[in-house]
Order: sequence, then C-alpha cells, then structure tokens
Amino acid sequence: MNKLWMRIFICGACALLLLFFSNDFGLIDIQETAIVIAIAIDKGEEEGKFDVSAQIAVPAGTGTGTAGNVTVTGASTVGEAITELNHKTGWYPTLVHCKLVLLGEETTRENVFEILDYFLRSELVEDTCLVGVCEGLAKDAFKATSPVKDISSSAISKVLSSEAQKTGLISVTNLKDFAKNYYSVSGGGFLPFIAVKQEAESQGDDQAQKPVFNGKINSEISPVSSEGAKSGEKKSDVFDASRTMLFQNGKGVALLTPDETLAFNMADTPTDYAFGNIEVDEKDGKVVYDLKMKITKKSAQLSFENGKPVFTFRIRAQAKIIDANKSDSILMITQSALVPEQVLNAAEEKFKKELSSAFEKSAAAGCDLFGMKMQLYRFHHKKYNAYKNTILNRVETRYDIRFSALK
Amino acid sequence: MDKIKIRQICFLFAVMMPVTKMLVYPTTLTYYVKNDLLISAFCNLLIEGVIVGLIMLLAKKTDKSFFSLIEDRFGNLTARIVYAVCALFFFASALLPLAEQKLFVMQVFYENVPSIISFAPFFFVCFFACTKGFKSIGRAADLCLPVFAVSFTVILLLSLPHADFSALLPITAVSPLTIGKGSLFSVNWFTDCFFLLFFLGNFKYEKNASKKVILSFAAGAFFILIFLAVFYGVFADIAIRQQNAIAQLPKYTTAFTSLGRLDYLFLFALTLVMIFYLCVPIQLCVHCICKTFKNCRPTLPSLAVNAAMLGLVILLNRSFNELQTFLTSQAWFVFLIFAYLLPVLALLLPKKILPKYKNKKEKLYE
Repeated sequence: MNKLWMRIFICGACALLLLFFSNDFGLIDIQETAIVIAIAIDKGEEEGKFDVSAQIAVPAGTGTGTAGNVTVTGASTVGEAITELNHKTGWYPTLVHCKLVLLGEETTRENVFEILDYFLRSELVEDTCLVGVCEGLAKDAFKATSPVKDISSSAISKVLSSEAQKTGLISVTNLKDFAKNYYSVSGGGFLPFIAVKQEAESQGDDQAQKPVFNGKINSEISPVSSEGAKSGEKKSDVFDASRTMLFQNGKGVALLTPDETLAFNMADTPTDYAFGNIEVDEKDGKVVYDLKMKITKKSAQLSFENGKPVFTFRIRAQAKIIDANKSDSILMITQSALVPEQVLNAAEEKFKKELSSAFEKSAAAGCDLFGMKMQLYRFHHKKYNAYKNTILNRVETRYDIRFSALK
Repeated sequence: MDKIKIRQICFLFAVMMPVTKMLVYPTTLTYYVKNDLLISAFCNLLIEGVIVGLIMLLAKKTDKSFFSLIEDRFGNLTARIVYAVCALFFFASALLPLAEQKLFVMQVFYENVPSIISFAPFFFVCFFACTKGFKSIGRAADLCLPVFAVSFTVILLLSLPHADFSALLPITAVSPLTIGKGSLFSVNWFTDCFFLLFFLGNFKYEKNASKKVILSFAAGAFFILIFLAVFYGVFADIAIRQQNAIAQLPKYTTAFTSLGRLDYLFLFALTLVMIFYLCVPIQLCVHCICKTFKNCRPTLPSLAVNAAMLGLVILLNRSFNELQTFLTSQAWFVFLIFAYLLPVLALLLPKKILPKYKNKKEKLYE
C-alpha cells in the first residue's frame, strides 16, 4: 500500500510540476509582441487629447538592438492609445520593459498625473521607470540619433542614470518618487528637462538606430531618418538634461538653470560627488576652476525660532581642483588637494547664491521643492494647519555652506 | 506525544509567522491607518503575544491536549463538536491567505496571467503535509529558519537605502478610534496564536519553554514591525497601491537596472516559507476533523479539505476583493472569538493541577 501511494505521489508530483514550470504554456510570441521600451506623450491637436508614441524594441541576433517608433494620435487616455496600438498594428504591447516616460513640454501646462496615472494603475508597468519632460515635442526625442549608436530612449536613459544623479548635474526622478511627492502633503516635485541638441558627429552607417516605421498608425507607415540611413559622416544628437522643471500639484511651474540644478542636487538629492566651475578674480584676471566636490553632509531642516519658521540649509563639502584655465606651477598641479582659500570661498558664495535663487524661484512659483510642507506636517504637526498655505513665503532661509579641501 | 518540539514552535513564530503579513496586509493596514500602521500592528501583536503567553501558561499547568481538556470537563461529544467548529474556522481562516498567495504568485512570478490551475500544485504539497500531521509542521519550521534568515535579511538590506522613516511621523496623526478600527479589521492576519492551542499535548513542556516561545514570538513581531516600517518608509503616501508588498520593496536597487531583478531569488525562497506556513491552518483543520471523527486516518479528510479548498479558490478566483472585504470588515469578530477568546476560555478548562507540579509546589513551600 505504501509503495502504491508513493507511486501515486510521484506521478502526481510530475504532472503538477509540469503545470508549475510550464508558465501555463503561456509563452510570449515574439512575432506578435511589441516590447515597448519607452513612451512619449504629447498634447494632441484637439483639446483634451494626447499623441502617444511608443518606442518598440526589435530584438536582433547580433546584439545590436534596433527600435521602431509608433505614434497613436488623438487618444483620450494613454490606456486608449495602448489598446489602439494593439488593435491597429496587431502587435500586443508589453510594457514590462518600459523604462522611460517622456512628457512633451505642452503637457506640463495641465496636471501631468492625468497622463501618468495610467502607469500607476497598471500592474504591468514598473514604477521604477524614469520620467522626464522634453523641450518641444517628446516624440521628437525618439527620432534623435545618438552619436554612440544607441537606441534614442536608451541614450536618454543613460543621461538620466543614477550615476548622472550622483554627479549632481541632473535631477533624476522615477515614477515612484514623482508620484510619492505628488500625493504627499507637499504636492511638489521635479523632473529633468531634456533638450535634444544636434551637436555631435558620428561616423559609419547608422544600423543601431534604424527605426522600423514611424508615423500615424492609422494613416501612414514610412521610414524615418533620412539622414540616419545614409552612411558616412553625419550630425548626431545629444541630450541635455541639465535643467530641471519644477511641479506643483502636477503642473509645471518653473524651470531651474543648470547651476541652480547643481545647487539643488547638492542640497537635497542623493548627490555624492558634484562637479562645477567656479570663477575667481585673481591677479592675472578671472580664472575658472573646475572643482570636484565631495558632499560629506547635507541637510535642509525646518525649525521654529521664537515662533517663526526658519529653513536652514547645511552643506559640508570637500573640493579638489580638477582643472583651471591657467597654466600653473608643477607644484600646484601635483598638489591638487591644496585648494586656495579664495577658491573655497568663491565656491561657498556661488552655491549659496544658486541655492537661494533655486529656493526663491520655487517659492515664487508655489512649488514646495525642498519638502518644507512635508517637514511641517511630520515634525511640527501642531503648526501644520496654521502654516500649510503660507510657509513658503513666511519662512526665513539660512545657508550654512562650508567647503574644505579634499584630502 | 512529542510530535512537535518547542524549538520548532519557536521557529514557527519567529520566521514563519511574519511572511504571511508581507503581501496584502501592509496595504490594507495603510488604507485604514496611514502612517500609524506600526501602532495598529503593535496592538494586534501585543494582544496575540499575551494569548501566546496564556496558552504557554496552560501548557505549563497540564500536559493534556485541548481536546482532552474539553473532554475531561464537558465530555467527548462536546469536545468533538468544538473541534468540528474549529475545523470550520481553520478552513475559513486559510482562505484569504491562500487567495493572497495565489495572486502574489500569479502577478509577480508570471510574465502573463496564468490560469488558476497553475496554483494547483500547492494543494498537492498541502495534501501531503496534512497526511503527515504535526511532525511535518515542525520539520518545515526547521527548514524555514535559514531560508527566512537569509532571504529576509537580503530583501531588507536592499530596501533600507530607499526608506525614509520620517514618513512614519507624525505619530497618532489619525485618531485612536481609527487605529483601533485598523487593528480590528486586520485581525484575520493575527490568528497564529490559535495554532498553539492545538499543539497542546503534542509537545513536551521543557524548562523555560514559555520564555523561549514568547521571545520567539517577540522576534517574529519585531520582523513584522521592521518590515512595515521599511515598507512605509519606501512608499509613504503611495503605499496603498503596493499590493504584494514584499515584491515591491527591493526593486528600486540601482544595481538591478543592469543586472535584472536578482531579488527574485530571495522572493522565491520566501515564497517557499509562505507555502509551508499556509499549510499550517489546513493541517490543523484536518487534525480537527480527524479528532471529530474519532481519530480517523488523515488521508481522506486531507483529500476532502484540499479538494474543497481548491474548489473554493477556483470559485473565488475573481472575487479576491469581495472576499477580503468580507473577512476583514465584516467577519472580524469571528477571528476575535476563535483566536483570542477561545484560548482565554481554555485556561478555565483544567480541573486540577497535575500531581507532579503539585509535589513540586509542596516541596517549595516546605
């Protein structure tokens, strides 16, 4: 009897393991599946409508991936556009690999969460995907040709990588963090502002960025990039994301300059090492120093002094000269850790000025960029109701920024 | 006798108990109490800890099983009726965790939504466990200790850098009434102490057993609280949309951008622990049925219970929300009565102190 049971168990286990490891025989037919790697959303011609462009990866055996762009125009929602994509092309779009969501500049005039809520509703889209705003139309960014033969969305993702964030030049945000700020008591937020610039030059034929087709899916399917198909030397595009767009309650309200972005990153984002230029008046005239700055301590804290709100920025950084636009003695070049006092002072002054400019710009636009309302709610809850609407204008800001030489 | 060891009960509470609170429970709790989820969870755990302590006190007083205690006091028929009702309770209480687990496996581990039958292998494992009784619970607990220790630590370490614990402030932002409501409506996740009542008489009460079990329970409670704190620290105001919490936490690790979701290895391992723990109420259900039918062999009851459970899971395949709403916001008092009130009443069951303890006490006073 025991042997019989054992056999029954083994047979049953084999049959059921087949079920368990078969993925329900639900293999994805790659020929019918559109692996969407990025989505660009622009305001449509008609009021309340959107143009949604999907960049679809085309798997290639050689390892050099290619991608095609498909645009659905005049969709009421992103969900509708995705459904239409399937309906009209026969491709089933899978968004699991969607790592980038780009918004056209025009869309930021309205609450962008009217668009982004699709990605929060769907379990199939990871909220780790990067989000950015494009200068002009977002779909144009997909047509850009990278000088290193990357797929355009992949090139943008690299520009917005966490490494870029660590250098302080770009304020990177993913969907989760952007949504977290939007749904918090603060309601503020920021997104990198991406501009496509035709600057770089590349050589060789452009196999990497050879789109399959592009255009309105219900009207035309035409090859893109007249330049891209040509072989030989040609102009390529680079992506500049050094500016930052500020949001309040989902609407774009202000734009930080590259220097303000750097100062903001040094004060309030996970930037460890920052790079920046400092101009110093010396005997021989103005000298520009290129500094590498290691942020050792940072805080932006709200406190109350004599009943008045005070917001204090504390930054401790260690700087090292990377380069300067003057010829220096061999001793000075060798001892790069010796940063002249006036350079350190100039760095302190510059970042104080830029940080104060970023703060004032955000406050004037009503954007709680530094999470002041959140701090008020969490740490001074009793005063929250009294100050929640006026804190940005009533707060006194203090800047305690100190630089020392990086040993 | 001695089907399960004190050590294994300790492991059950320390490492298996926390896993079932890592899927839908954090989201549900956030829905009710927002950032005060730790206070609400602490209330539940404190009450459950007290019940565990009381049951261990009962175990110290008597070496009889719960069935024998009722039988001695009220007769065999009453004991069988109580066990039959308890079997129903275990069956009902296993339903929501099973549905959670099914959703978790299907949403997280599959690229496209698989059919319900893909979850059927669980019932095969469960059937096997049910036929083996308490011994298999103990062995599973032994096995789960290292698996949980490694997987939970890794997942926590991956998630910690993204957690901002200030999100838990201000404390008591919601009213105590709301916190109480949150605790009541999540009481269905805190019925673990009730298992201990049925282990009575099936383990040998050794020296410091109560301390060990209570400390293990405290360790399990600590893991739950730390998990909830990290969960809310990572997601704050959008925590409410993070179903399958354990799978959502570690995915923000920067390295995964290029390496892929390596954390899935540890999620798979934790799923194994969950599977073993999900078997426990069904095993106890079968145990109660066997006792009701005069110690019958467990094969047929196991088959019947698992088949019925599979049938219900299929039937309720698209009704998870309705099932959850019913069990949390309407049937919470049933969980209170069985998991908390019944163990307290069980304290009144022993007729007299065992002679061996009596002798010890007399010696002590001499």
